[in-house]
Amino acid sequence: MNLKLETRSVAKGASIIDIEGEIDVYTAPQLKQQMLDLLDKGATHIVVNLSEVEYLDSTALGVLIGGLKRLRERNGALDIICPNPRIRRIFEITGLDKIFDIYSTEEEAIKALRGKEGA
Amino acid sequence: MAVEQKSDIVELKIPCKPEFVGVARLSILGIASRMQMSYDDVEDVRLAVAEACTTAVSRAMKANKPDTFLTIRSEISDTKLTIEVEDSIPPTSTDLPEVPQSPDDIDEESIGAMLMELLMDEVKVEASKHGGTLVRLIKYAG
Repeated sequence: MNLKLETRSVAKGASIIDIEGEIDVYTAPQLKQQMLDLLDKGATHIVVNLSEVEYLDSTALGVLIGGLKRLRERNGALDIICPNPRIRRIFEITGLDKIFDIYSTEEEAIKALRGKEGA
Repeated sequence: MAVEQKSDIVELKIPCKPEFVGVARLSILGIASRMQMSYDDVEDVRLAVAEACTTAVSRAMKANKPDTFLTIRSEISDTKLTIEVEDSIPPTSTDLPEVPQSPDDIDEESIGAMLMELLMDEVKVEASKHGGTLVRLIKYAG
């Protein structure tokens, strides 16, 4: 069971984390570390791309919520790209779709990010 | 005369460690696929059982007991799938964490409990006969 993580900078203080694989209690610490590294470097906006994620559980959601809280403290945001209806359903049934902005495509997420930066 | 219902039992014993939760997930996927359940229901069972295992693994890590085991016992009948996840860490409480009222109150533990409650038809947490904690999850077929 592998998790692949790649980070791309898309604007000053804004990055996309592309994730591939399964995020669970075993692999979630890798995502947490990646997010902490970005926060240490002064990130204010992180977009987590779940397009290639086949499975996630509460530990993954915990990491995302932790990241969102840290980013909000610095007036930033954590957004999600999630075209997979099965994964999206987990956000919906837990009510987390109300605290994260979730987009179906990278284009939509980037467009929204530009809007937030300009706000 | 009541007809006795036939059921099959599958038991899996795994180390109570993060890297083995994926093994439980794969096994449950196979077991739940034997039931008359939709694809969505099978996926729900898989996630709920994984949440029970994850909770046990987290408790073992907190209790500094990495050498314990987790037993996942599945009983498959025509009408329902019963899965018991048992660890050997004594329960601090058999109450499920409260379902948060606001998404902002959500933490990892409460999400795990919430997912089990939302995805399964019945969830019960109790002290096991062997001194650990037992989570019983039930999903009805059809």
